Amino acid sequence: MTDSERHPYIELIAREARRPVVVDPAARARVMAAVRAEPLPGRRSWLWRRVVAPRSFTLSPITGALLAASLVGIGVISNALVNRDGQTSAGQAPPVAQRLPVSDTVVKFVFLAPQASKVSLVGDFNDWDSAKSPMVRIANSGLWTVTLPLTAGRHVYAYDVDGDWYADPNAPVAGDDGFGHTNSVRVVTKGSTL
Amino acid sequence: MSRSPSPWVSRLVPRSLAVVALALSSAAPLAAQYTDPLTVALGRLDPTNRFAIEVIMDSARAAGLPDAPLRSRVLQGVQLKADARRIVDAVRKKFVLLRTAREVLGPVSNDELDAGSVVLEAGARPNQLQSFRNRQKGREALEAFTVWADLLYRGVPGEEASSAISKLWQDGADDATFHSLWNNVQADISQGLNPGAALQNRIREAPARAAPPKPTPPAGQQENQRSS
Repeated sequence: MTDSERHPYIELIAREARRPVVVDPAARARVMAAVRAEPLPGRRSWLWRRVVAPRSFTLSPITGALLAASLVGIGVISNALVNRDGQTSAGQAPPVAQRLPVSDTVVKFVFLAPQASKVSLVGDFNDWDSAKSPMVRIANSGLWTVTLPLTAGRHVYAYDVDGDWYADPNAPVAGDDGFGHTNSVRVVTKGSTL
Repeated sequence: MSRSPSPWVSRLVPRSLAVVALALSSAAPLAAQYTDPLTVALGRLDPTNRFAIEVIMDSARAAGLPDAPLRSRVLQGVQLKADARRIVDAVRKKFVLLRTAREVLGPVSNDELDAGSVVLEAGARPNQLQSFRNRQKGREALEAFTVWADLLYRGVPGEEASSAISKLWQDGADDATFHSLWNNVQADISQGLNPGAALQNRIREAPARAAPPKPTPPAGQQENQRSS
C-alpha cells in the first residue's frame, strides 16, 4: 500500500501539478515585447566598468623610486616647455633666464660719492632695478664700485645715490630719458677688460 | 640571512614615493615660474595707459623695430615712479625715433638703431645719418653714434658735430679713434673750452686713415668725396 492510496488528497494534488499550465499567448507576447524593449548592455559601459573597477597592485621599492623619478622628470620637462613658449601680456620677450645670453665680458663701474650711504647701479641690463646691482664702498675712499658681466653692445645706465639718479661723469651721455634724468652709455665690445 | 621587509613597509614605501613625486612634479613648475618685470611694471599702470604702451610695442614689433629700448623706457619710468602719461609719451617718442632711424639707416643691428635714434633725439637731422647707410660689411657705427650724440648733448653745434663724425667715419676711423676723440673733447670742455672749439681742435688730431673701399656709395657721395 502506497502513501497515495492512503492519502487520496495527495493523489489529487499530484494530478493537478502534472497538468500542463496553459499560458495566455497574448500575455507571453507582452512579456517578450517588454524584454526586447530593454536596451542591451552597451560596450562603453562595460569598458567603463572595467576602467573604474578598483584594482590592487603592488610595487617594489625600486619600481616606486623609478616612478617617482619619472614623474619629477615629466614635471621639469613640461615646466621648461611652458616657459619656453610663454609670452607676457605685452607679447614680450621670454624670461630673463632665456633673455640673458652668455656674457661677453665683465665690466667694472666706479662712482665717486663720498657722502652717500647707499649707491646702486641701474641700467637696461638689470631692468633699472636698484636692488639688483648694489655697489660697494671702497674702504677709506668715497668710491663705490660694482663689477658686472655684460654682453657686447650698447648699455644705458645711471647711478642711484640714496634714491637720486645721476649720470656717469666719465661716460658719454645717453640723452634725456623722458623722465627728467640724463643717463650714460657704455659700449661693450667682446673681450673688453675691466 | 637577510630579513625581508614587512608587507606594510613594502606597500608604504612606494606609495610614499609616488605621493612625493606627484607633489614635486606639481611644485616644480610653480617654483621655476618667472614673472617678466615688464609684466609687473605694466601691471602698475592704469588700464588705459597700459593698453597704450602695449599698442606702441605691438606696432614696433610689426614694423620690425627692437622692443628692448621701449621696454627699457617703461621699466625706467616705473622704477622712477613717473606719471603713467609721461611713460606713454616717453615710449611713443622713442618709437618714433626708432622708426625714423630705421628709415634712414636701413637694416642695422638693434643696438646701432637705438644709438642712431639717440643721435636724432640729440638734434641731428635724419639726412645727416644718411652717410652711415652704406658701409663695409661688419662695420658698426655704434661708437660713432654714441660719441656724436654726446657731443650734441654737450653743446657742440649740430653741423660741426655731424661733419666731424661723418668725415671720420668715411675716413675709416675705428671705435678707438671715436672714443679717443670723445675723451679729448670732453676733457677740453671740462677745462672750460667752448664745445665747438674743443671739437675742432681735437678733430685735427684724429689719425688720418686711408678710406676703406666702400660697397656702392651713391653717386652724390662719390662726388662729395672727390671734391673734399
